[in-house]
Amino acid sequence: MKVTIKLIGPFVNQLGFSEKELEVPPATTAEGLLAMVKIDKARPKIVTRNGRAVAPAEEVQDGDRIVVSPIYSGG
Amino acid sequence: MNGWTGQILRVNLTTKTFRVETFTEEFAHKWIGGRGFAVKILYDELKPGIDPLGPDNKFIVAVGPIAGIPAPNTGKAVVAAKSPMTGGYGDGNLGTRISEHLRKCGYDALIVEGRAERPTMLYLENDKVEFIPAGDVWGKGTYETNDWIYAKYGKGVGVLNIGQGGENMVRYAVVRSLEGRAGGRPGMGAVMGSKLLKAIVAKGTKPIPQADAEGMKKIGIEDLRKVQQLDKESGWSIQSTNGVLAWCNEVAALPVRNFRKTHHPDAWKVDGERLNNARIATYGCPNCTMRCGITIHDEAGRESELDYENVGLLGPNLEIFDLPQIGTLNYMCDDYGIDTMSGGCILSFYADAVDHGAVPGDIKFGDAEKFKDVLRRIAHRDGEMGNLLAEGSLRASRAIGKGSEAYAMQVKGLEVAAYNCKFIPGMALAFGVSPIGAHHKESWVITFEIKQTSRDSYGPEKAQKVIDLQRIRGGLFEYIVSCRFPWIEVGWGLENYPKYFNAVSGLHWTLDDFWTVSDRIYSLIKLFWLREYPDTHRKLDYPPAVWFDPSNADTEGPIAGKHLEYDKYDGLLQHYYDLRGYDKRGIPTMATLERLGLAAEAKAAEKYGSLT
Repeated sequence: MKVTIKLIGPFVNQLGFSEKELEVPPATTAEGLLAMVKIDKARPKIVTRNGRAVAPAEEVQDGDRIVVSPIYSGG
Repeated sequence: MNGWTGQILRVNLTTKTFRVETFTEEFAHKWIGGRGFAVKILYDELKPGIDPLGPDNKFIVAVGPIAGIPAPNTGKAVVAAKSPMTGGYGDGNLGTRISEHLRKCGYDALIVEGRAERPTMLYLENDKVEFIPAGDVWGKGTYETNDWIYAKYGKGVGVLNIGQGGENMVRYAVVRSLEGRAGGRPGMGAVMGSKLLKAIVAKGTKPIPQADAEGMKKIGIEDLRKVQQLDKESGWSIQSTNGVLAWCNEVAALPVRNFRKTHHPDAWKVDGERLNNARIATYGCPNCTMRCGITIHDEAGRESELDYENVGLLGPNLEIFDLPQIGTLNYMCDDYGIDTMSGGCILSFYADAVDHGAVPGDIKFGDAEKFKDVLRRIAHRDGEMGNLLAEGSLRASRAIGKGSEAYAMQVKGLEVAAYNCKFIPGMALAFGVSPIGAHHKESWVITFEIKQTSRDSYGPEKAQKVIDLQRIRGGLFEYIVSCRFPWIEVGWGLENYPKYFNAVSGLHWTLDDFWTVSDRIYSLIKLFWLREYPDTHRKLDYPPAVWFDPSNADTEGPIAGKHLEYDKYDGLLQHYYDLRGYDKRGIPTMATLERLGLAAEAKAAEKYGSLT
């Protein structure tokens, strides 16, 4: 199945892409997806699935849009 | 008294006189500085009901006990007065070398009274106070005024100035300092303009009294390096605050088309990546370790400094998705000395009112040329509509009628910042209970709310988080007067602030001591409002009505069909009041006031409004 992963802020510079579509096996979790693109596990972040917060163990679905952002705290 | 100069300078523009006053250690410990000093002075000295744009209002500049010393991001000052926008207490902070120079002239605060006979610049140099004619730059923008000042006194001086917006008393005119941008959204620039006060310049060389100056210097310089390193490691400054634009767009929190929509497919064109790509320079305030000001070339090739709030509200909120066009609108606001946030909301209010037929006109969302023309008319109060829009969206909507109140995105008369809270109850509460009208600086709960709670919840955990953040952001950072970015964006520990405070004062305070001060200040601001609005009501703490309107709910996307609900919001507000020790009107109870050491202030309030 296909999911889109979108990075925000310094994640873009760290991983060298802003957004891409990935082919992932069924039952891939949000946490597993992040590991596939080598996102630093220790770094504080907020991950959303189709605009809503997603738990690490939640499985992603075909057509999902997963967004990974640092935890901004307001200007 | 270590930590404070112990002196306040009081200047009267009407009589061209000044006086140096002292304050007690008790006063210093109770109010600390910045916002604390400002609200206490204004509460004690302003008679309720005065015209904020009349000579009876007082303009305050107040700094904190760590201003002027080497510590991370301490180059800030608070400007305050009774607000022309809200009629309540108003203030703001901005980066400026005034913070250091005011202290080195020997003062922790400046009180400006009266009204000058002709345009004036106030010049302070150690013990000297001069009233300098400023007719040469009256009618000029803030950039030219700043150049004029630097040509006279050199670039190292501290400067606060206003542009045409302040001169013409546009109610959301700000105070500018090109050393660190703008501050005072609730019309602090208009108050300066009403006094014919074009600028304040300070140059001081006196030592700042500190309990352990050597120790503080060592700690401060070490910490400056550490915060710089944290910023470098985090990469935060790459996109700076505008990194959050793409996130707001993804989670349906971006203001689009006067907050009618929460996301837009073209938002990426003005996001943090694009801003970083267009960057020509980066600016920070004095003592800054993580410079947040990214400049780009506007349409005319001028350097325009952008952050998330002004991109969001002058961009997608107006359906403009072109950074140079946004840069031009932003440059105009900055040069006129008009708040970019309220400015953006008022332009969008006008376009929405025209779109719905409440007022005649041909302006359309997305038409940057028309918006520039309206902005110019606002700054000069040119024509009927320019004059009306210079009053702010609440007053303008009341004058226009025809249902246009629904298009005014404001709380207590101050326009909301760039977070669309159609379905973000906690952040809507943060806007609702912000003590100066809708402002994000007091409490920013949106990431907590979306990451750690259910978005549908109106539970007490959200009210408690709003209070926790108010104590830090609207409290500590506003009275110790320091930038909050090292803490909020790169994880610089809060425990560092008592460390600095104790080094300069010789005291042994903990963070808990600070939270009491924060609560005291918030309660006194509430009493200030009660005296101005004796029939105050909890509805004053409600966010804009449009967020509750089912017909305004998104029709697609992450929050399709969702909107705030009145009963539930009211319950959330009650949680906030209960946790704060406020009554059902949102006023601190007598027990709360006594606990915070505000019995005398409560007595003064009771002449105007009842307490429970």
